[in-house]
Amino acid sequence: MLLEISHLTKSFGSFTAVDDLSFSVKEGEVYGFLGQNGAGKSTTIRMILSLIRPTKGSINIFGMSIEKEREKILQQVGAVVEKPDLYRYMTGYENLNVFARLSNKHISKAEVMKCLELVGLDKRAKDPVRVYSQGMKQRLGIAVALVHNPSLIILDEPTNGLDPQGIADIRNLILMLSKEQKKTMLVSSHLLSEIEQVADSMVIINKGKKLVEGKVNELLNPDKVQLEIITDNNPLVKDLLANSGWAKGLRNSPDQKVLVDTTADAVPLLAKYLVEHQIGISSLRSMNSLEAYFLSLTSGNEVD
Amino acid sequence: MRLISIVYIELYKIFRKPRTYISFGAIAAIVGLIQLGFYADGESYMKFGMQSLSDSFDVNGNIMNGYLMAFIILQTLLVHVPLLIALVAGDMISGEANQGTLRLLLTKPVSRANLIIGKFIASSIYTIVLLFWMAVWALAISIFIFGADDMLIMKSDMVTQILASDVMWRYVAAFGFAALAMLTVSALSFFLSLFAENSIGPIMATMSIIIVFTILNTLDLPIFNMVKPYLFTSHMLGWKGFFDVTINENNEQIIGSIENLPAVLLSAGVLFLHVIGFLFASILVFRRKDILS
Repeated sequence: MLLEISHLTKSFGSFTAVDDLSFSVKEGEVYGFLGQNGAGKSTTIRMILSLIRPTKGSINIFGMSIEKEREKILQQVGAVVEKPDLYRYMTGYENLNVFARLSNKHISKAEVMKCLELVGLDKRAKDPVRVYSQGMKQRLGIAVALVHNPSLIILDEPTNGLDPQGIADIRNLILMLSKEQKKTMLVSSHLLSEIEQVADSMVIINKGKKLVEGKVNELLNPDKVQLEIITDNNPLVKDLLANSGWAKGLRNSPDQKVLVDTTADAVPLLAKYLVEHQIGISSLRSMNSLEAYFLSLTSGNEVD
Repeated sequence: MRLISIVYIELYKIFRKPRTYISFGAIAAIVGLIQLGFYADGESYMKFGMQSLSDSFDVNGNIMNGYLMAFIILQTLLVHVPLLIALVAGDMISGEANQGTLRLLLTKPVSRANLIIGKFIASSIYTIVLLFWMAVWALAISIFIFGADDMLIMKSDMVTQILASDVMWRYVAAFGFAALAMLTVSALSFFLSLFAENSIGPIMATMSIIIVFTILNTLDLPIFNMVKPYLFTSHMLGWKGFFDVTINENNEQIIGSIENLPAVLLSAGVLFLHVIGFLFASILVFRRKDILS
């Protein structure tokens, strides 16, 4: 394992931001780190990078403890934590050059420019960062993480605040780094749709605790769906389903909607069943992506 | 990572920031104004000042010379320079925290102790460069405008005359001492910047401490008299000691003499200990600090 987090806990006074969290990242994989805003993702990443001290637990990267071998480990790690804040009074090139010098490796001007080219900022290298758009700052932040050619790249919410084109650019960059340069990456996000498209494995956390960890393609089973049904009489539908063969899949939900776990091929049957019982269906939505899974987990409606 | 690389990077950052040049501009403007004022109306000012002496002494030569001007400027400006020092030193950590660059910096393989030492050295170099700038304006340009001659310093109970040939080394020493005093301010402001996430806090706190300590110095109460020797503000004007000369039995100045060298050295020692103390405290605090900005 390239990165191993074991029983990690961080408390701020009586508030526990990260609670007994464990997961591991294999070499060469893109690992998704998912959770709603405030779930404890950034706190965990800060502990991985030794920006804050864990209350309990351990972090090993490349087989070494970050607490004991911080500088040795960070030579091989590139990271952007939350939004990439840079020196606004310097140009893009100057910013990258400053952070390249701090990486403890000899990095030539040509390598700095090549890195800017990789993130599509070579034409704007001489512009001050204060005139950069949010997307350009984000890309420059990623260039800061990449400039010393690290083995492990940690990106905390890399698509935050970006427009659709910016999000696509960052996604393509992550995929390129993973496929072509074989980088190991830990990418955090509160958007499952983003992680779904780039990650091999993932962990979902909520309120600092791990909810689930595994391969994305295993967690996202296309045969299993969750139906969100809105009818003219939801309480009646719940009673009806509870006393039928659908009872096993029925989930707790507010009265405004009915949630049923089932398989994709059973959806028409369920619709037919409701119509036969003279239920007026206003909406029937099938969610078979990881997003449904994530939403069900974080809202307390567990999925089998 | 080598310390020298950190110092280089930090100096690069300091001198790329527009706010750095406010201090240089402010010193040039204030010194220039004082020089202009004395150039235009200095003679009447000096006549008024020398009134009490002219009855007892026959004073010849260029009294309002560059050396005296530098003394007047130093005396006036050194009270205000701490603000200009704090402007940069107080921003060294808090400014990075405010911009969010501190967490990016610390994702790089730089030891926290080295980062603090590097930043401190860089802010100290800025302080020394600022003092050098002040010396150039206050001394070199004053000599260029007003010329050089023996220096007369009027005190409440006496007049000290220092021969022109014996003045320059005293200024070098005085500026060196002033640099140490300003380094103490820089170290204090730097230390305070660890606890804030914008530079206004450390700058205000530094100035408040200096003002409170200076007020304590002026109050002649036994309870305050006990602590006065330990306050750095009690020693910041120690540079004046280089202009107190010893006179021989013929009432002539002894060339190269300092009237109370032990007092000057003690003040320098107290200031130096403060600098070291603030630096070590900064390292200790920063090594354990959670970076939440």
